Amino acid sequence: MESESPIETKKGKSKTPKKAKESILKQKSPAEFFAENKNIAGFDNPGKCLYTTVREFVENALDSAESISELPVIEITIEEIIKSKFNSMIGLVDRERIDEALYDDYETAKAREGTSDFAYVLEFYVLSSLDVLKCHLTLSCSNLFSLVQKRLAKEARAQEIQAKNASLGKKVKEHTVSKGAKGRGEASFYRVTCKDNGRGMPHDDIPNMFGRVLSGTKYGLKQTRGKFGLGAKMALIWSKMSTGLPIDISSSMRGQNYISFCRLDIDIHRNIPHIHLHEKRDNKDKWHGAEIQVVIEGNWTTYRSKILHYMRQMAVITPYAQFLFKFVSDTPDKNITIKFARRTDAVPPVPVETKHHPSSVDILLIKRLIAETSKPNLLQFLQHEFVNIGKPLAERLIGEMGPEFSPKMAVKSLTDQQIVRIHQLFRQAKFDDPSGDCLSPAGEYNLRLGIIKELHPDMVATYSGSAQVFEGHPFIVEAGVSVGGKDGLNIFRFANRIPLLFEQGGDVVTRTALKRISWNNYKINQTQDKIGVFVSIVSTKIPFKGTGKEYIGDDISEIASAVKSAIQQCCIQLKSKIVKKMQAREQQERKRNLSKYIPDATNAVYDVLKEMARSHVSKKKRYEEGDADILRKVSDHSITNETLKEKLTEHVEKVDYQMALEYATQTGVREEPSEDIYLQSLDGKGNLFDFHSPIFVFRLFL
Amino acid sequence: MADKKKRRRADSDSESASQPFKNLLKSDDQILQILKSFTTCFSSSSTSKPLTLADLALSTTCREVSDLSLSSVQSAIESLVLQLAHQILSGQGFSFTVPSRSSSNQLYVPELDRIVLRDKSTVRPFSHISSVRKTTITSKILSLVHQLCLKNIHVTKRDLFYTDVKLFQDQIQSDAVLDDVSCMLGCTRSSLNVIAAEKGVVVGRLIFSDNGDMIDCTKMGMGGKAIPPNIDRVGDMQSDALFILLVEKDAAYIRLAEDRFYNRFPCIIVTAKGQPDVATRLFLRKMKTELKLPVLALVDSDPYGLKILSVYGCGSKNMSYDSANLTTPDIKWLGIRPSDLDKYKIPEQCRLPMTEQDIKTGKDLLEEDFVKKNPGWVEELNLMVKTRQKAEIQALSSFGFQYLSEVYLPLKLQQQDWL
Repeated sequence: MESESPIETKKGKSKTPKKAKESILKQKSPAEFFAENKNIAGFDNPGKCLYTTVREFVENALDSAESISELPVIEITIEEIIKSKFNSMIGLVDRERIDEALYDDYETAKAREGTSDFAYVLEFYVLSSLDVLKCHLTLSCSNLFSLVQKRLAKEARAQEIQAKNASLGKKVKEHTVSKGAKGRGEASFYRVTCKDNGRGMPHDDIPNMFGRVLSGTKYGLKQTRGKFGLGAKMALIWSKMSTGLPIDISSSMRGQNYISFCRLDIDIHRNIPHIHLHEKRDNKDKWHGAEIQVVIEGNWTTYRSKILHYMRQMAVITPYAQFLFKFVSDTPDKNITIKFARRTDAVPPVPVETKHHPSSVDILLIKRLIAETSKPNLLQFLQHEFVNIGKPLAERLIGEMGPEFSPKMAVKSLTDQQIVRIHQLFRQAKFDDPSGDCLSPAGEYNLRLGIIKELHPDMVATYSGSAQVFEGHPFIVEAGVSVGGKDGLNIFRFANRIPLLFEQGGDVVTRTALKRISWNNYKINQTQDKIGVFVSIVSTKIPFKGTGKEYIGDDISEIASAVKSAIQQCCIQLKSKIVKKMQAREQQERKRNLSKYIPDATNAVYDVLKEMARSHVSKKKRYEEGDADILRKVSDHSITNETLKEKLTEHVEKVDYQMALEYATQTGVREEPSEDIYLQSLDGKGNLFDFHSPIFVFRLFL
Repeated sequence: MADKKKRRRADSDSESASQPFKNLLKSDDQILQILKSFTTCFSSSSTSKPLTLADLALSTTCREVSDLSLSSVQSAIESLVLQLAHQILSGQGFSFTVPSRSSSNQLYVPELDRIVLRDKSTVRPFSHISSVRKTTITSKILSLVHQLCLKNIHVTKRDLFYTDVKLFQDQIQSDAVLDDVSCMLGCTRSSLNVIAAEKGVVVGRLIFSDNGDMIDCTKMGMGGKAIPPNIDRVGDMQSDALFILLVEKDAAYIRLAEDRFYNRFPCIIVTAKGQPDVATRLFLRKMKTELKLPVLALVDSDPYGLKILSVYGCGSKNMSYDSANLTTPDIKWLGIRPSDLDKYKIPEQCRLPMTEQDIKTGKDLLEEDFVKKNPGWVEELNLMVKTRQKAEIQALSSFGFQYLSEVYLPLKLQQQDWL
């Protein structure tokens, strides 16, 4: 907004006298601003738009269900709509191309020549030797590829025009991405539907909840997935920009006997909803929740894996939710249906809204709090609008502020200077750290389930740190580390219980795991072992880096050290497990490892004995009686190498038995700590068939 | 010869700008005079018989080995093997009692100025997973050495390793066990008839017999004579040298040998090309004790240079059991010392910053007794750690390749600048 207006005024200055400036000064609505800068909200390009739309819907759905302590059941469907179908949908007649040269993907005569060249070359070289064939093929192929690339690049550029605010870096990404989209000539449209069993929305609020950017229910200070009430609205803006189609919302609240249905789009210039249809319908099934449907331009091919990863990791961090993900298109073999079943019914507590911590507020915020407070005087204001300020501390603070402050003064009468003074004192004074009570971490149990599901590891350890503070905002870091399972070092990052998939390289978790953990200390080999690292950070304010909720920077030492220590704690747990495992392996392999050296050892001893026996026989040397006896036996072959081997083997067996016994008595019968497992209830009556036996019944569901 | 040299020096006066301190040099004759008086006074002072461990009544018992004849090595092995046979036959498995060569079992004896081994031993049972390998290797080495005794031949450590590559896996393991074995039998490693490949070289004013052949080290060409791996072969040492120059590195050695430095100032030049092997140490000791010459050391100005110096002087921890035969006491640190860097204005670009590891090594050295006993060394080492700079001998080449032999060393000798 701000960046726009000076340019406008400049223009005005040059053309018109100063007076006219006022009339030219333009106001930009928030909706307009976000439409022009949609990359801020993660709508960089069609592919990412599709991804972000899915993501925003899913997160809203989860928040909604959790807010009424309902186990979330979420269905998300992406339906591919090809262009002709889309056109008929909006009542546009498909037109054949008449002037081919008009189009961007038109291949010039020269380019076509190139393609035929390739055919020719190919034909020719089938007859010639293989080596030459290879070399020329690569040459002509690269020609062909450059042609294809050119076409794809053009395509990408076309997409870029739509995503006009995308930065240069993103453009490069886009190009590489479009290479993968071979043979898919034109933009695709998708109908994204998300249905949940959450709170639903009051009938009359629906238009404002969707049709007004920066209006939301999540503005309080608490741990939430979303923050600004942007997500769903951005999807709506994007649909308006790319397809022009409105959004459909159905919603019903608990105990409501009707379903609100609303079809609306957004008046971007005025940032107000534009309602097409708003009616109440029958609610026969007593359904509550919301169903949102939007048609947008997107790119499934390039963001398919990201979207699936997102769903998968979301299922990992919210094992108490049930997700059904569907992708539907005209080509049935591309269709996908994945059900992420619920694995627990333990829902983390709903995060509670908390008051601001004095060290985290700024002047504007203090002013807002003053405007909103119901407390009449300064003392009560300090005491009730902030955490960690009790009455004695409030009095001391007021005393410190200066002579013009008094506990009884009306808080609304504070001047700007006085507010600045309060702010300064808040910055300098010492307060207790905010407690983590208002946070709702994912929980070690959930983390553990997630890791097991994602990586199928041999060993898992989890750790939940205590609450710590960054700029007055409490945060909790939880970590899980696993060994075994999937190859390599796999890192999974979560912030406020949403998965982070982008910008892995710069993230605090990745950097910590790669650079600051000495895995060797924990008997883990970073290059050979399969390591999984899960880190979940929750906070009332996650310090995301850059635009969009993509990664947490590595520059915040409080978070970096908390992440490090959480991972280390897991590693310490793992280490003892690993050591025990190594011991157990040693137990199993001891006999084999000892036995394999028997021949070498006895050979060496016997070789010397043999030589000695020889010189003994020839009377070169004299030996004492016991020794001479052995040598005599060696000479007459009553002691051979075999004798030594047998004796040594006997001894090894005896030792092995003793040590195994010792090991068993020392360690006792050790069991892994038992864990509750969640059994899914089977719905539907189904046909049962019982097999009876004297001790159990085996029930088969048909 | 001297005439020629003088002429050349006169010609090269203009070089003095590029070769600083050259003008400080006195004539060779004067320097020789200084050296001669030093050497005579040195040899007269060092006539007293060196102390042995037995002379000292130390509170802790220490282990020392001695040269044993082949037959006594053989019978030592045989009685050990008979013990093993008894143990095995009685069904108890078997084990070795090996003197520990860990650093906790080492003791620096200031009176002797060398490291000795204490009497702690570890038991190496066959039937334990952590020692089964070493025990097997030990019995294998014993049997191999027994064969050497019977046949009266010498083999190299490499030969020994190749007799059973599968068991030994790499030479480090068989070498370590070999030291254990000599420690266990109480004899020097040479007594086991196992030698290391030739590493050290010697050139200069030395004549000795190698297996009966007379060797004149002034006539060995530029590379000099390889130091015989078997010290028993060496005898009849004669020399008119005034000192022995111990050089850490091959490069500096080649420079000095090619410039025939030993003809300008009669000396014997020795190098082991880095960490010294047993043969070079034995050879140096023999030269020093038989010829009664002072030993001056030219090493890099870094912690490793000093470490190498200490190995020659006080022995290595790995072979402390034989330090009596391996060490050469009273080696003077001639250069390049940390203080020389500024004294000889070695340009910044030739000095290297010390790594963290270097500094740690330097600080560790400061804790070592053999450094502490010499206050001059402590001072130099402190300076090195403080300035965090190191320099190799080659840093002197920044003043010309021959600066080392033509200016630096003569000047050092003239000033008797050693610690």
